[in-house]
Amino acid sequence: MAQTGNTVSSTIDARPALGRDFRSLLGALVALDHITGGLIVAPDGLLIAAQLASGIAAEPLSALAATLGRQLELRGPQLRRGTFPMAQFATAQGAAFLGSTPVGFIVLLGDASASWDVVRGALRAAVGTIHRAWAG
Amino acid sequence: MILARIWHTIRGERRFPTTVQVFRRAKRFRDEGRFEEAAALVARGLLLDPDNVVGHLLAGSLHAMLREMGKARTSFERVLALEPTHPRALLGLARIALEEGDTGACTDLVTRALARYPDFPEAQAVLDVVRSLPASAAPKRPRSLEQSAICADRLRLPAESRETLLARADATVIFAQPRGLLTEEVAARATKLARIASVMLARAGLGDSLNHAVIEGAAETTYLRADGETVLTLSFSGDAKVATALAHLERVWVNCRSELSRQAAPNRVA
Repeated sequence: MAQTGNTVSSTIDARPALGRDFRSLLGALVALDHITGGLIVAPDGLLIAAQLASGIAAEPLSALAATLGRQLELRGPQLRRGTFPMAQFATAQGAAFLGSTPVGFIVLLGDASASWDVVRGALRAAVGTIHRAWAG
Repeated sequence: MILARIWHTIRGERRFPTTVQVFRRAKRFRDEGRFEEAAALVARGLLLDPDNVVGHLLAGSLHAMLREMGKARTSFERVLALEPTHPRALLGLARIALEEGDTGACTDLVTRALARYPDFPEAQAVLDVVRSLPASAAPKRPRSLEQSAICADRLRLPAESRETLLARADATVIFAQPRGLLTEEVAARATKLARIASVMLARAGLGDSLNHAVIEGAAETTYLRADGETVLTLSFSGDAKVATALAHLERVWVNCRSELSRQAAPNRVA
């Protein structure tokens, strides 16, 4: 049963130590409504954690997600250096959501009904959790 | 050997781990996201064995994770000095070349990696990206005809939009407001992002045609609309409502397509 964005956000916020438990963190995000899979990748493309539907190869996707994340991180489309907290890339079939963290990028894959607001709220909480876990 | 182990156990002595064990442990830590511990072990291992390929490769990976690309490059180059066709080091350098906009070097490096190790899906994915990009990273010079032909009034740009850019897929600027020294570079960046995203979405089973993107920045949010031929970006303040901004984006997109069609029509008649 998929959880709502609020439930997942509360769970993530409650336990800063979770910021280093990438599999649990990803598991909570993938449980969001209309999210079909996800992965956490390091900036060099190393796959840290993945929960993907069968038929989607994790390694090439992690390489591409890291490439896209780094492009956004280096300079956004308007050439302003600095943070890119999160981004959404959509097709007619669905969307990929990216969140930037100190350890790399969280990528969530969703169907066409995935809500940007819900995903953004949950991603923001997850990114914050990782930031707090890595700040100490 | 067994007697020696028993003897060490009885005496409570701890054996020093070999560098192989040190790097194996470092790799495990890195894969678990324990980067500080991994980096400490790699540094220790390389002190013991300065020419260890695995150690330098791990060092390169950890530097890249910490966004220290200069140090990562040095480590990957050290690996190649020791083992000239190491596929992981070649891929590491290829990714750095791609970040720097050197598509030629990236193609060369990733092709060498695949020649050594053809079953390398990450390298193939990077090659797919670099092949989708224009051959030259240099921004295209604007065509004066296109510049004069698009009128801002016809596009009905929203007052809240801070910047607007319309470019062809090869990064040729069609329209920009405001227009500045960096406009061509911005166009190159936007079209590159759209292409990389399209390749990633295809690999994720979501179709190979990017429709739109929302990219949040520190001070503003960029909304991007694309098809295979054209890319449009509008930027709004971070406070703008997503639904409103997307509605503006779609309206301006339709107007842009209409303007481009209007321009093309007389040419066809002529």
